[in-house]
Amino acid sequence: MTNKSTKIISYAFLIVVSLLSIFPLVWMIIAATNKSVDVVAGKLTFGGQLLENYRNLMASQDVWRFFWNSAKYAVITTILSLLVCSLAGYAFEIYRDKVKDVIFVIILMTMMLPFVALMVPLFQMFSSMNLLNSTLGFLLPSISTPFLIMMFRTAAKSFPEEIIEAARIDGLSELGIFFRMFMPTMKSTYAAAMTITFMNAWNNYLWPKVIMTKSASQTMPMMISSLTSGYTTDYGMLMLAVLITTLPTAIVFFILQKNFAEGITGAVK
Amino acid sequence: MKRKVLAVLLSAAMAFSMTACGGGASGGESSKEASTQENANELTVWAWDKAFNIYSIEEAEKIYQKENPDFDLNVVEVSWEDMQTQLSTILSSGDYSQLPDILLMQDFAYQKYAMTYQDLFTDLTDSGIDFSQFSEGKLKTSVVDGKNYGVPFDNGTEVAAYRIDLLEQAGYTVDDLTDIDWDKFIEIGKDVLDKTGYSLFSTQAKSSDIIMQMVQSAGGSIWKEDGTPNFVGNKVLEKSMDVYKELFDTGVMTTANSWDEYIATFTSGKALGAINGCWILASVESAEDTAGNWRVTNMPSLPGIEGATNYSNQGGATWAITTNCKNVEMAEDFFAKTFAGSTELYDTILPGAGALSTWIPAGESEVYSEPQEFYGGQPVFELITEYASKTPAFDVGVYFTEANDALAVAATNICSGADVESELKNAEDTVSFNMGN
Repeated sequence: MTNKSTKIISYAFLIVVSLLSIFPLVWMIIAATNKSVDVVAGKLTFGGQLLENYRNLMASQDVWRFFWNSAKYAVITTILSLLVCSLAGYAFEIYRDKVKDVIFVIILMTMMLPFVALMVPLFQMFSSMNLLNSTLGFLLPSISTPFLIMMFRTAAKSFPEEIIEAARIDGLSELGIFFRMFMPTMKSTYAAAMTITFMNAWNNYLWPKVIMTKSASQTMPMMISSLTSGYTTDYGMLMLAVLITTLPTAIVFFILQKNFAEGITGAVK
Repeated sequence: MKRKVLAVLLSAAMAFSMTACGGGASGGESSKEASTQENANELTVWAWDKAFNIYSIEEAEKIYQKENPDFDLNVVEVSWEDMQTQLSTILSSGDYSQLPDILLMQDFAYQKYAMTYQDLFTDLTDSGIDFSQFSEGKLKTSVVDGKNYGVPFDNGTEVAAYRIDLLEQAGYTVDDLTDIDWDKFIEIGKDVLDKTGYSLFSTQAKSSDIIMQMVQSAGGSIWKEDGTPNFVGNKVLEKSMDVYKELFDTGVMTTANSWDEYIATFTSGKALGAINGCWILASVESAEDTAGNWRVTNMPSLPGIEGATNYSNQGGATWAITTNCKNVEMAEDFFAKTFAGSTELYDTILPGAGALSTWIPAGESEVYSEPQEFYGGQPVFELITEYASKTPAFDVGVYFTEANDALAVAATNICSGADVESELKNAEDTVSFNMGN
């Protein structure tokens, strides 16, 4: 009986919390189907304005170009970032020595530098290298992040040394061990890292808004910023744009959800 | 199986990284190419608001192209917030070559940019643009040390719009709210609130816009001659604060927490009117079901202040030619023949975007006197042009944003019972501190 009542209480609590966290998402979807005037009035039922909002959005913004830009930047950043940071994290742990430990600490210390402080020198550098408005310009500053290196280093700690020894005896090269042994074992860490990196890259706003000075290279978050900056804001259209922008990160998250939880908690199979 | 997946993943990674480098390199090359073969007749413009500013300059481009078919504008949509980040990054990096040829600038920030970065805007004083044809109050924002640094664009003249169907329920007409002062306004407002439950207008909380509008309407200033804040002992500002508090206490003015809530107060909520820059009318008109019930008039004046008027201004923007402009002559000629010389342009963008001109000859056009159905046939644009000509000039100063923020804090505290004088003192200290004094 007591067992049952605690169950009821905990379920009731969970239901309330899930409703609270899901409400903004639901409201966003509802708002995308309503007229601007109904959105600001707080209407909570679906409207018939979705197609109209879609037409307005497509007429006023080059949505798919910005979407393609965002997708391109985010996918390339994620792949390169995962490759570079996992190699670094693995190497810091497996070929550990005093010098590398010091370097690692220095890398960690860069986490304390806010990006805003680096922006002007970075801009100068990228401008002189002719990298403004380019994919490479977007991703170079975010390929290697201390957080990911640390995450992979921690994961490498739990990677059994016997496997490495055995692989070496079997004649596998060091890179081979990394790619054939480490990578497949750390699937869930990769999944977690992938989710985080993809989201960060997709939502990256400060850096692209500084270097993407041409219409053709702008991204989805920049488009949303533009939609809100006029004398009048069409909130229905805005919410549809936000919805389109949210979908890819939501999809990535749902696909990798199971692995993500494992990766974050550090489970190794 | 795993191996295969891995192989695919790795080759994908490699392929992508190669395209990344390739893309980057080709991007670099193409921009290099673009700069060598760049069309000297193509000017890049940074502006925000597709439906308003960008629409307007693209219409201007079409007009100018009739005589100059080679002319081309490359308009980049950049929100005002983003533009500030971009500008400050570019300006502090010293790499001015990344600036556009032309950019749009908020009036309230004009002086700040012109004073802080003295080599950002091109001096247009002798450009052939006839500045005497712009309204004086507007022109003042882009003049530094007697030199013109901008081409005035849109008009933010203050309007008051009211729902007459709701006013009638309380026994009032729009004439009762025309040419009155705030005392009378509050008297009527209390009665309307009692009878209908509606406030007369609304403001956004934690904003001092309406207070600034009051100060301007009375010909006041928030700055001393030397540019330091003039809050303490400023009769006009004190009176504005008093009126603001009374509007708040009586409920004649209702407050909203955010911009969208603010819009909702008069499109579907607690207020039967809106008092703001004339661009607010586009939001008023989004409440299509209330068409025909709205009327436009002037704002109330500050009581007991000599020289107080019923006219003010909120917002507006000005075009600037940057020092990085690759064809200054052409840019100047473009502005001289469009924004500073084409009634055709203003006749197009007025009905097309509701963009009201600050170029005086435009107001004489017939388009301005056309009756507007939404406002029961009032010639709204003509009215606003008339208000604009009566609006006192206002010195926004270099630190307008800082002053605005500090006064907003003061207004909030005063409404919750703090003393006006000490709050103004605090606000003045805050602004002085931010100015580095």
